[in-house]
Amino acid sequence: MTQRTQMTRRHFARALAIGVVALAAMVVIDGVLHAIFAQNAFGGPRPAAAAEPQAGGFVGWLLAKQSEFYREMSATIRAAKSDGSAVWTLLAISFAYGIFHAAGPGHGKAVISSYLVANQETARRGIVLSFASALMQTLVAIVIVGICAWLLNATAKTMCSAEKAIEIASYALIAAFGARLVWTKGGGFIRALQVPRLAPAMALAGHPDHALHGHDHHDHDHHDHDHAHSHALVGHHDHAHDHDDHGHDHHHDHAHVHDEHCGHSHGPTPSELAGPGGWQRGLSAIFAVGIRPCSGAILVLVFALAQGLFWAGIAATFAMGIGTAITVAAIATLAVSARSVAQRLSAGRDGGGTLFMRGLEFGAAGLVLLFGLGLLFGYLAAERVTCL
Amino acid sequence: MSLIPRWMLGLLVASGVTLGAVTAEAHPHVWITAKSELIYAPDGTITGVRHAWTFDDMFSTYALQGLEAKVKGAYSREELAPLAQTNVESLKEFAYFTFAKADGKKEKFLEPVDYFLEYKDTLLTLHFTLPAKTPFKARQLALEVFDPEFFIDFKYADKEPIMLVGAPADCRIAFQRPNDGSAGAQKLGEQNFLNGDNSNYGAMFANKITVDCP
Repeated sequence: MTQRTQMTRRHFARALAIGVVALAAMVVIDGVLHAIFAQNAFGGPRPAAAAEPQAGGFVGWLLAKQSEFYREMSATIRAAKSDGSAVWTLLAISFAYGIFHAAGPGHGKAVISSYLVANQETARRGIVLSFASALMQTLVAIVIVGICAWLLNATAKTMCSAEKAIEIASYALIAAFGARLVWTKGGGFIRALQVPRLAPAMALAGHPDHALHGHDHHDHDHHDHDHAHSHALVGHHDHAHDHDDHGHDHHHDHAHVHDEHCGHSHGPTPSELAGPGGWQRGLSAIFAVGIRPCSGAILVLVFALAQGLFWAGIAATFAMGIGTAITVAAIATLAVSARSVAQRLSAGRDGGGTLFMRGLEFGAAGLVLLFGLGLLFGYLAAERVTCL
Repeated sequence: MSLIPRWMLGLLVASGVTLGAVTAEAHPHVWITAKSELIYAPDGTITGVRHAWTFDDMFSTYALQGLEAKVKGAYSREELAPLAQTNVESLKEFAYFTFAKADGKKEKFLEPVDYFLEYKDTLLTLHFTLPAKTPFKARQLALEVFDPEFFIDFKYADKEPIMLVGAPADCRIAFQRPNDGSAGAQKLGEQNFLNGDNSNYGAMFANKITVDCP
């Protein structure tokens, strides 16, 4: 019985997976087309324009809210000069502003999300990274204004030059970080690519899975032998389960794939929080993204300083940072979840699943590099630095 | 149902998650309340545009950072001259956010003249005149003022937003504000977007001024 039911079940699961993926792809393609169209239409490197064509709806609401909160900030800081309790209002507004504001470009969501997907990070680590980079952005803003405006009483023009220099450094760091990820993940992808080359042919031939497995195994085993011994063993386990029970296989495969990869790149047992590449790689991500402060924070700090309430500005900036971190963490968690969904969907495939996941990681690593280069050379627009 | 298309689609999903995170909107950090004048020569040619842009409270304060006034809180035009210089120099990169078309043909502007800053009620107002590269006649002039990246939100003053200076008597102004909620404005924006006709995200927030001189 088993072979028939199993095959039907597999077909169904496959069809379902394709449906889901196709739907998602449509959404993505739609978005990409919009981006491309907007870019070409303008004829210049300013795809911040790559957005929904209507100002209404959710986007309009988001913009309106954000503007509302931001514009209330200056009035509230003025009010705080005479009425100390206004500081609480200021904190609340700043926090809300941070949440809405981080949905805009230039707050590292894209880079962090791609990194998390590329580096097989957990949601927990994604949240930690989001908060750490938002905190760093906050601190950098305070340091810039603290040194330039408060200590040196420099002009806005000087501050803007500093911001621009930091911006370029940040983009270069993102690109370098991306290049390193591509290098690391490229190896995994190429290895995976070499292994299941036979897969499409097998699928077409429609042989009983059993016989093919033997082949696949040999290949797998052989290739990776010199890399990690444990890997081959894991592979065996994995496939054995696959035969028995589909549901079971999902679970197992998930865990194994993770181990397998870690076995590839580094030591076999990384601590739970420090993902592949260790804390060092995570820190590089935080640094590359977090070094660029947000223009809004700089404006608020300078304004507060001018009102003689620098401390209130600092408090507001921290509140803003926490709000930003929450939004970025939510998006990062989404990216990590999407990745594990993809992993589960691809797990049903023999050999192809690994290829798919390695390809996905490689693609995500490539995105980090592209973001860095795009920002550096002006093809992607982040939040503009306040220089007028 | 071969393997390859599926993992390629899968890659698209992954990039979609990240792209979705990128395509979020820009949003204003600076608000400008604008007034503009169109300057005509006696023979009816348009010679330039004169702007008066008042910055919001926060940006005005930011821009004044590090500048000292002899009388505290009262900056004179001379004291603000270096800042005005910086302003017009910085605006060049953005084509002064002023986009003109005479009977459908794009018109260019030279670098600003007669620029200065004025400080009043804690707000800075930048005055400057953009001379037309070649003075032109237009049966229909279309002037748009906006920031394509929407970092700056331009709002025209409620009172006398646009003035014609020395224009022939039969010229008529039509002024369309962004965000006025009129369905027509939004539809126009979408149409332009789909046509790929010099439009973009920020264009939805454009102030559209049309002058018809039959």
